[in-house]
Amino acid sequence: MAEIKLSNVRKSFGPVDVIKGIDLQADHGEFVVFVGPSGCGKSTLLRMICGLEGISSGQLLIGGEDMSSVEASDRGTAMVFQSYALYPHMTVAQNMSFGLRMAKIPKIEIDARVNKAAEILQIKHLLERKPKEMSGGQRQRVAIGRAIVREPKVFLFDEPLSNLDAELRVQMRVELSRLHHEIGATMIYVTHDQVEAMTMADKIVVLRDGLVEQIGSPLELYTRPDNKFVAGFIGSPHMNFMDAEAVHIDDGFASVAVIGAADRLITVPLRPDALVHKGQKVSVGIRPEHLLGTVGRSDLEVHVGVVENLGGMAYAYCTSKSGQEVILKSESEAPPRFGTTVTAELNDNYCHLFDSEGKTLSESAGAVRRQDAAA
Amino acid sequence: MTDMTSYPVPPKPRHTTFYSRNKLVITPLLFIAPAFAMFSLFVIYPIIQSISLSFYEWQGIGPKKWVGFNNYDLLFKDPVFWKALVNNIYWLVLFLLAPVLGLIIALFLNQKVFGIRLVKSLFFFPFVVSQIVVGLVFTWFYDPAFGLIAALIEPLGLKLPSILASEDWATFGVIIAGLWPQTAYCMILYLTGLNSVNPEMIEAARLDGARGWRLLVNIVLPQLRAATFIAIVVTVIGALRSFDLVAIMTEGGPYNSSNVLAFYMYDNAIFRYRMGYAASIATILFLIMDVYIVWFLMRLLKNEKGSR
Ligand SMILES: Nc1ncnc2c1ncn2[C@@H]1O[C@H](COP(=O)(O)OP(=O)(O)O)[C@@H](O)[C@H]1O
Ligand SMILES: [Mg+2]
Repeated sequence: MAEIKLSNVRKSFGPVDVIKGIDLQADHGEFVVFVGPSGCGKSTLLRMICGLEGISSGQLLIGGEDMSSVEASDRGTAMVFQSYALYPHMTVAQNMSFGLRMAKIPKIEIDARVNKAAEILQIKHLLERKPKEMSGGQRQRVAIGRAIVREPKVFLFDEPLSNLDAELRVQMRVELSRLHHEIGATMIYVTHDQVEAMTMADKIVVLRDGLVEQIGSPLELYTRPDNKFVAGFIGSPHMNFMDAEAVHIDDGFASVAVIGAADRLITVPLRPDALVHKGQKVSVGIRPEHLLGTVGRSDLEVHVGVVENLGGMAYAYCTSKSGQEVILKSESEAPPRFGTTVTAELNDNYCHLFDSEGKTLSESAGAVRRQDAAA
Repeated sequence: MTDMTSYPVPPKPRHTTFYSRNKLVITPLLFIAPAFAMFSLFVIYPIIQSISLSFYEWQGIGPKKWVGFNNYDLLFKDPVFWKALVNNIYWLVLFLLAPVLGLIIALFLNQKVFGIRLVKSLFFFPFVVSQIVVGLVFTWFYDPAFGLIAALIEPLGLKLPSILASEDWATFGVIIAGLWPQTAYCMILYLTGLNSVNPEMIEAARLDGARGWRLLVNIVLPQLRAATFIAIVVTVIGALRSFDLVAIMTEGGPYNSSNVLAFYMYDNAIFRYRMGYAASIATILFLIMDVYIVWFLMRLLKNEKGSR
């Protein structure tokens, strides 16, 4: 079994604290994705798990074993780097077998393992090539193959697809998911691409500035973000935020008025621990796809700017009267036209409420309903 | 609308100059011409002249006398020539320590430790200093009366022999002085090479269980092949043409025991007015270098083909 457990793990480079106390658990066979803005410490955390970086304080367990005095090569982890980090002077077969040769594994077994991995990754015909004679996608496969042959308990990926073109990225994404099902090992995957995070993860860990913002399944994070940062980070295009004021609190519900649409109150259920008082400045969050419903009600009037029509759907980048930026999603057949003024209908069920510190106040009714449906 | 199947009318041949028609051939030639002229005048012509001079007897002024292979005859019977040749071989062999030491120092300096920049610049230092200064500094080091080495070993009760005045040790004293800047040079080459090694690749190798010596041999050194090649080439050439240090530190003495071919040639030409004889030494040195340069060029061409 290879579950990974981090308790209060910290890392500083000299005076700079990079990882500021992280508790985290990845169960055996789970696909865990670390997301977060660039520089938040994703790579550092990954490197601490595989032993390339020491841990300043806290505890790391892999398979229940404390890793503080275990060498990087003996942790049963294998890492796939963003730059592939292949050995340029070796052929693909030599690249893949290098770790096994260092471990003095018998040649027959090495060949068997390399062949098997090459078969899984469909790179058998490339075994005698050097890295420079291959395309980016092929190199990435070799890098993954190098990890597979070591039969690690834990796979670690650091933005493995970010150097590939869009099409290849989609393809490799699917293949990595397939690989995960086939091998069943624990995988930790770092990315800043939240499509990768949403599609591949069993569990997403959102990091910011060396701290965990939220851990949960992709849908949980999408429908029930714990704070404004997660709400804004997960989802593309990002969630709309509009300034509002609480006008009425009653029995676990808050009614708020969005600036610029004062006569239309939005009523959302509150979290049990949320403290809201009348007149409090709050922020209403709503995703673009929940913004443009039936037209004609007296909701938020917005001025349509650039419209991106993607074929399957269209996004309109609008500004409200009070100057707030709002993104609307609509059908691609009849998107709002540039320069017009339309009414954006706010669907109460999908509105989130955040306080001025960014903490979530509301129980998104959309999320509640989804959970009901699942039950 | 244009008919796609009809052939396009060829444009009427306009008036073209000879240059515009042969641009692709002429332009490179024009660019090469100045360098080629200079190279011919200052390198190729003197080489041919030296080789032809080696068949004459000439005092530098006055008439030249054709003597055929007489100069070579004398040369091969000249014990000083053989001594100088053997010394050049010592230089060659011992100078090959420079790439090795340079690599070791470069590996040591290629760390991220506080103050490493200062240490690095100190190691660069001998490379910047002129050979003349290096020679003088080492001459003082070796001085048995007030030199640094003598001062260092004196408390141990040891007495430093006069290295540069010893027939057995003078050559090695000069070679060690020469190794100092040469090592710095190789170190710079290796540091540059190490800089371009992908650190993630080293980490990958560490995860693959390669450490220390095995990491160096299997992963790092293969990345430094280009640097190693250049370091060896430059070092060998440096050893064969060693001259300045010998001139400064010993002038080939005592009794020619530290002479090398380049200095012996200079000595014959400038002090003994035996131009023809000096030219024959130069020719021999040239032939030795040729063997090596041909090998060098073949490697270079092969590498260039490999990288296409
Ligand atoms: N070896 C190091 N020395 C000093 N600072 C470092 C080092 N490695 C990373 N950092 C800093 O730690 C922070 C997190 O880096 P990293 O983990 O690479 O972020 P990312 O989430 O983009 O992968 C960055 O601010 C970076 O500058
Ligand atoms: Mg990173």
